[in-house]
Amino acid sequence: METNPKSTLIVTRRSPCQGGIAKSALDTVLAMAVFDQPVALLFQGEGVLQLLPDQATELLGRGSLSRQLESLPLYDIDSLFVDAPAARHYGLDLTLCALAISPLEDSQIRDLMLQHHTVLGF
Amino acid sequence: MILHTLSAAPGDSVYLDCLRFVGEEDALLLVGSGVYGALKGSASEAALLDCGARLFILSAHAEAAGVRNVSGLFTMLDMAGFVTLTEQYPRQLAWH
Amino acid sequence: MIYSLLVLSSPLAGSSARTAADFAGAVLARGHTLERVFFLDAGVQHGAVSRVLPQGEHNTLDEWLELRRTHSVELLLCVSSALRYGMLDENEATRHERGAATVHPAFTIAGLGQLVEAHQQSDRLVTFGG
Repeated sequence: METNPKSTLIVTRRSPCQGGIAKSALDTVLAMAVFDQPVALLFQGEGVLQLLPDQATELLGRGSLSRQLESLPLYDIDSLFVDAPAARHYGLDLTLCALAISPLEDSQIRDLMLQHHTVLGF
Repeated sequence: MILHTLSAAPGDSVYLDCLRFVGEEDALLLVGSGVYGALKGSASEAALLDCGARLFILSAHAEAAGVRNVSGLFTMLDMAGFVTLTEQYPRQLAWH
Repeated sequence: MIYSLLVLSSPLAGSSARTAADFAGAVLARGHTLERVFFLDAGVQHGAVSRVLPQGEHNTLDEWLELRRTHSVELLLCVSSALRYGMLDENEATRHERGAATVHPAFTIAGLGQLVEAHQQSDRLVTFGG
């Protein structure tokens, strides 16, 4: 791979209930990390709902996004950000989140987008 | 500089979120259901005209949806124009 | 410039269904290189070999096949999404004992590493959602 790899920000915007798009976004984050590409992940809008603790997806016979999220640090994926206004909108207590995640306000989110070579919206 | 391609319908939360992050150096292209945002006299039209970015609309999609008499502040594009925009903007972010 | 496309939206997803294929054609018409189209999530349904559409409705498959035929554009379906959506080539159909292939042979089943590679090697990676 390139010596100066391009960096990517992945913006994940749907809840785990909205089909498989949230999983596809996470799979893409993991693939970039596995291939040593710089990658950051922003949970934006409804996407913050992926961070709800105690999701019992096995009750619906579905795979668990939470387990996959918890594995992110194992792949050295530590650039994790959350849409702070959206988190407030959904009444999310981010202190309950198992991941080390940085809340961002609107202007900071825009800055984050501009800091990366590529932004992929899921 | 970001090219935002907005295909979500004006009622969708993704549509509103897009407008939160659009800047004055950006371009915003309405495609798919996003073209409804340009309906004359609508609240979404007002929000778009206020967002500060260069505004574009894919003409074939607007015509297909019956979105006509669009404000002159939207530049109508064909597919070649869409490609040209992607040449000019190093980042493209799809809102869907 | 070298372009690659990431297609997330299904061919059934309204007017956006054609956008990626039409854009691909316009990229080539402007003299750029279109290296790879990577289909992920619902986008893998673009590879379906047996869709039957009512008279007058456009089948995007024809456009993809034309791009493959005339410009050797790589059409890749993400393996995990493809399996979930029942998009199986001969190998996968045999491996999972599913009878006939459901994917047109112009499409290749591939891993996300191919998307990562496309991102690094292309000047532009354009995403198409619903």
